[in-house]
Amino acid sequence: MDMRDAETGKLLWESGKWGQRMLREEMQARVPKEILECRAVSRELNFTSQEEIRQFRLEQRIFLRGACLEEWFFDFGFVIPGSTNSWQQTIEAAAPEDMRHPAELSGKVTIETSFYDGKTLIAKTLVRVFYV
Amino acid sequence: MGLLTLLRKLKRTDQEARILVLGLDNAGKTTILKKLSEEDITSIMPTQGFNIKSLMHDEFKLNVWDIGGQKSIRPYWRNYFDQTDALIYVIDSADKRRMEETGEELGQLLEEDKLSEVPVLIYANKQDLMSAMAPDEITEGLNLHTIRDRPWHIQGCSAKTGDGLQDGMEWIVTKINDASRARGEEKA
Repeated sequence: MDMRDAETGKLLWESGKWGQRMLREEMQARVPKEILECRAVSRELNFTSQEEIRQFRLEQRIFLRGACLEEWFFDFGFVIPGSTNSWQQTIEAAAPEDMRHPAELSGKVTIETSFYDGKTLIAKTLVRVFYV
Repeated sequence: MGLLTLLRKLKRTDQEARILVLGLDNAGKTTILKKLSEEDITSIMPTQGFNIKSLMHDEFKLNVWDIGGQKSIRPYWRNYFDQTDALIYVIDSADKRRMEETGEELGQLLEEDKLSEVPVLIYANKQDLMSAMAPDEITEGLNLHTIRDRPWHIQGCSAKTGDGLQDGMEWIVTKINDASRARGEEKA
């Protein structure tokens, strides 16, 4: 996973390879707080699949203290066996007056991503975001 | 102009627009999309699956699908044809050896039912290379003038310098907007 300033393409944060561990534990992302000043941010998820998947889709929700702030449903459809794939979403920021202070958000934002084949849950990951 | 600017220019009559990017391996598909997003293009690996860029603006979504072009992956292209609003076909203009092969692949795509009437933008990429064929030469060589069942356009470009990318995208926006306007009129 990585995050960028979508206007300049500048890489702000990168997780490296989380591998299997991210399916079992809550991961932590320590993201520079400047990200909250970007007009648009992109978040990219990379994944590999050994198997062919016919109806791959994901549901991603961003929570702040348990309340859902943002929701993305995405249908990938077919996944090629033995493939490496990426999905990048670009999100525009809220109006500056609606932006919250980094200290208010740090450690209280979680990104939950669930991967499905049709209706069957394949995996679920949880990333807690700290603004540092 | 990046993909965000492009998205802001699209009419919002539909909820979503889908652009499919295809072409032989090493044509520069991923590099073009990264360049359009102002991302670093110095170390791009061959795509072994898909790269998707999803952008959202005022509830309207743009999804750009870049599928790997290696021979072993091409048979899977057909899995990604559904609901395509525009096709971008990328050609390495300096790869004269495979010009015929890329022409054949494009020809097959244009015969696909699911892609019928879908506007096609051909990026004649790598124009920064001395050995690159000019867009006119490619048009001639691949008989692009014989395409009559859809809007098409060839755009010389360089993913490396960014030249021509914006012009191509402007064309795509116009065509997607034309199509959604036509659908709107049908409904009315």
